[in-house]
Amino acid sequence: MKIMPCPLNGPRNIQEFICRGEVRIPPAADASAEAWAEYLFYRENKAGIVREWWCHLPTTFWFIAERDTRTDEIIRTYTFDALDESGSGR
Amino acid sequence: MSGAEGARAASGNPRRSFFQRQLEALGARFSILDDGPLATDFGAAAAEREQARQLGLCDLSSLPRIGFKGANTAAWLAGRGVALPAESHRLARIEDGLLACRLSPGEALLLSQPWGSSRLIKDLERAWNIESAGLCFPVPRRDSHAWLALLGARVPTMLAKICGIDFRPHKFADLTLAQTQVARTSAIVARADVEGTGCWHLLFDSASAAYMWHVLIDAMSEFDGRPVGCAALAPPGSAQ
Repeated sequence: MKIMPCPLNGPRNIQEFICRGEVRIPPAADASAEAWAEYLFYRENKAGIVREWWCHLPTTFWFIAERDTRTDEIIRTYTFDALDESGSGR
Repeated sequence: MSGAEGARAASGNPRRSFFQRQLEALGARFSILDDGPLATDFGAAAAEREQARQLGLCDLSSLPRIGFKGANTAAWLAGRGVALPAESHRLARIEDGLLACRLSPGEALLLSQPWGSSRLIKDLERAWNIESAGLCFPVPRRDSHAWLALLGARVPTMLAKICGIDFRPHKFADLTLAQTQVARTSAIVARADVEGTGCWHLLFDSASAAYMWHVLIDAMSEFDGRPVGCAALAPPGSAQ
């Protein structure tokens, strides 16, 4: 059983969660069409440590997990509040 | 009231338990409490009380309950005399036998009990309005969630078959709750012992009621568990 450390509920079976993809910072409202197209339609799909949105389904609690896509290791998890303006977790 | 009479009584009542058919098939005797039919016993109240000390399944779906959600939830409830536990995943026994559950910093669930009064829940329903409550919104749970009480010393062993949480008493203390999956179904499991008998309240999507009833009856059969009426859930001060 793979375990996900949920910031609200503690360590839980990964089956209680759903991953909803990369954490991405939207461009400014007046950004170019290219910038918006990049944001809406393209994903980095990086081999390495990525930041992703995860949701604990029984509580619908959303949080961020840092995961190494090469090893599927979960590095750490934290809430959106801990994300600074640059998009990095504190 | 016999099962058939109970069914008639219930049919004259707009509310039915999510487990009405299963309970009637087992010969449940019903009483009407807070406009909902509650299976009091199955004709053997004393034996059911003994059964509840080992492993019993009790339907409480008809009992009043309500949730509130939002950043102002704890403050709004405190202003109406409901003190939530300071920590999430904890519950407290408050007036009228009510259980006040803190699901997260900004979410609460209030559960009434068969022997108590639901007056406070009705008062809160009446008191809430969007102008004064701020970021505190009601989350009606009486129709959305089925509610079963799992009773007795063998509950943690039985739940280990269908849930990843360790519910043994020394690992999952009285007045603790978990929001998890039971038999792959999202559920709230809240422990609130009654007169020394272990009691784990299980609330889950009412659309899964028939499925969950079948799963629990099957899981309990290995440990001689069976359904009991709510009379087996002894009220405080009536220990036998």
